[in-house]
Amino acid sequence: MLNVNHCNISLKKTPLISDLSFSIKKGKVLTLMGPSGSGKSSLLNYLSGTLDTGFQANGAIELDGIRLDRMCTQNRNVGILYQTPLLFPHMTNLENLLFAIDAKEQGLTRLERLNLAMSKLAELGLEAKAKELPTALSGGQQARIALLRTLLSSPNYLLLDEPFGKLDPELRQSVRRFTLDQIEIANIPTLLVTHDDEDKIAMGGDFIELVNLSQRG
Amino acid sequence: MLKASITNIIQKWDALITLSRIITLLLILPIVLGLAGTILPAFDFLPALSHYQFSIKPWQNLLASPELIGSIKLTLISGLLATLISFIIAFATISVFYESRWLISIRHTLAPILAIPHAAIAIGLVFILSPSGWIVRLLSPWLTEYERPPIWVSVQDPYALSLVLALVVKETPYLLFVILASLDQIKTCELIKVGTSMGYTRITVWRKVILPILYPLIRLPLLVILAFSLTVVDLSLVIGPNTPSTFAVTLFHWFNDTDLDQRFTATAGAVLLMFIIIISALVWELVYQVVIYFDKGRWSNGKRTSLLTPFFHGAAITYLLCMLLAVLSLIVLPIWAFTHRWRFPDILPSSWSFKKIEQLSPLLFDLACVSLIIAFISTLFALLISVIMLEQKRNKPTSIKWFDRFIYLPIILPQVGFLFGIQVFLIWSNTSGSLIAVISLHLLYVLPYVYLTLSGPYLAYNQAYYIQAICLTKSPIQSFFNVKLAMLKPALFSAFALGIAVSFAQYLPTLTAGEGRINTLTTEAVALAASGERKKVGNMAMLQALFPLVIFMLAQWLPRIWTEYRLRLKNLSH
Repeated sequence: MLNVNHCNISLKKTPLISDLSFSIKKGKVLTLMGPSGSGKSSLLNYLSGTLDTGFQANGAIELDGIRLDRMCTQNRNVGILYQTPLLFPHMTNLENLLFAIDAKEQGLTRLERLNLAMSKLAELGLEAKAKELPTALSGGQQARIALLRTLLSSPNYLLLDEPFGKLDPELRQSVRRFTLDQIEIANIPTLLVTHDDEDKIAMGGDFIELVNLSQRG
Repeated sequence: MLKASITNIIQKWDALITLSRIITLLLILPIVLGLAGTILPAFDFLPALSHYQFSIKPWQNLLASPELIGSIKLTLISGLLATLISFIIAFATISVFYESRWLISIRHTLAPILAIPHAAIAIGLVFILSPSGWIVRLLSPWLTEYERPPIWVSVQDPYALSLVLALVVKETPYLLFVILASLDQIKTCELIKVGTSMGYTRITVWRKVILPILYPLIRLPLLVILAFSLTVVDLSLVIGPNTPSTFAVTLFHWFNDTDLDQRFTATAGAVLLMFIIIISALVWELVYQVVIYFDKGRWSNGKRTSLLTPFFHGAAITYLLCMLLAVLSLIVLPIWAFTHRWRFPDILPSSWSFKKIEQLSPLLFDLACVSLIIAFISTLFALLISVIMLEQKRNKPTSIKWFDRFIYLPIILPQVGFLFGIQVFLIWSNTSGSLIAVISLHLLYVLPYVYLTLSGPYLAYNQAYYIQAICLTKSPIQSFFNVKLAMLKPALFSAFALGIAVSFAQYLPTLTAGEGRINTLTTEAVALAASGERKKVGNMAMLQALFPLVIFMLAQWLPRIWTEYRLRLKNLSH
């Protein structure tokens, strides 16, 4: 369970988010909506520990009772997916997946590690493209591989920043379904930031709507 | 242990801040010392030579020296003329060839020409243009009826015109490079479309619309060219006039005079040279503003054609001729290097041999090794420093403003005085004549170019990839090297190649810090250029041009085939 308690974020003393609290259960998705400038991305950065200098934030982030907000990004065990899949262009599809698997931590041999990555590609029917660069893939395939890559790093919670925004409408439905299934299998709390009402409905769960604090006064 | 300490640097931003502050201090220190070491002796104060009393004696000596007026005149003529001609040719070339396939070919030739040290090109030009050079040989005896080399003067002419030519050949490609990069920032193609759709000829659009927008973007590079042209020493030694020589060369001779008192006169001259740069820059800018002031009315007079069109075409053709000269001067170097016998009016050597290069090979090998060691170490340090400073700049753009302010000073200040100031410090600290001193001075000149080349791509890098990698691996250090730097590989390679080229071209820094004990291909080639030993000079200049060129090509070629090769290897193994 991911808990955020009394979170305040401001940029150069202008408040963006004030006193926000929510919690997300394992395997569930909380949808976060709001106009641009309402602090959605800042909240995601706060949760992942990548807030730029110039932002001030306070509050508490707890995952299963452990405080995360004082930790740096690499110790939080967080998975992030952005609008662009961010597959590393200098690595093959297989290498992109292998990059995320920590064999030592998961107690895998080199071969098991390779097989794990290959089995994930097989799930997508992309074994043949294992040794090609990700630039050759379609947008939908890239989005799926990016999600699997993030999940292979076995994160404790997942942040999705409009991950379906750049997909064609007909693709969006199936990638969304795929994402939801994978989150249920991984059984981790997930926060989804989106503009799209359909995302909210498809994810079925709860949602929060942020307001633009700077324009209110 | 080392890995752990690097991890800490990357993880803890305050450690990065400390490191960037130390680097800034280490950069500012020699610059301040160099300036102090130039300005104080100009007023007769130099404890190292037991001069403790301030006075204006150096200035009196300077004003009394007979070469002064002639030298300054030559410097002003060659510096301003070279900058003006380079600017006209570069601008005209782009306006004539923009959006044509010629421009693509021109773009491809820019980088290699930029990589070649200017001394090598100057030596090649001497081999071509001198009375016994290639051009006269091509025309003799059938046209000129010369059976022996004529006695008139072509290179090292008393008006410094051959120096201007060498500067133009070397600076125009650089300016083209800068203009092409600036044109990406303004919507050039759209501007041309709007203008031509109203019936304006392309040249007119360039003159009336693009030039006024473009000029502010290239003002600084133009001033760098101006400062370089006014202060260049090695190029003037090879192809410039003697007695009087340009002011920078006169100062260079004074600094190396056995009479130590001449050094005080020379430092006063170096301070004067700084003023000459500042005043020339002001005059240049003033002239531009005046021209613009009178031209403004003509921008909107509605005339669709320009009487200057043939002039533009002429200037563009001049560029092609310049490049032809540059290519010829590179071809003539190996020809001389492998010549056995080449009598005067013959177009090519009558017999070839490897004898000279064999005989010289121990010396050439030593010189090449020293040059490469200096170039590699200084460039690697420059890359390391640039990455650290840019990473800090990305975190907090204002935190390295002192570094940003000082870094370009070494390339704007006249080397001939500034380096003397540093030399005083090197002698005092007992490091003069050591390889470390030479490498440090090279670093001072390599760093600005490497930093400038790298900063665009580095700051534009999509940091989301790096954050994604940290989330996936939980290791910032691994992510930094395997993802961020790996993705920036092409930019790192280009910056590296440029750094090597800059280091290879350095003459005065090597000479000043090396005290003649450490010689590179460049110092030897320039020292021998006047000797008439063409086979020997040809060998040295050839190698001097060859190494930067090869490294440059490798830098463009390697990142591209690296991934391809890796993929093919993987596919074969399964």
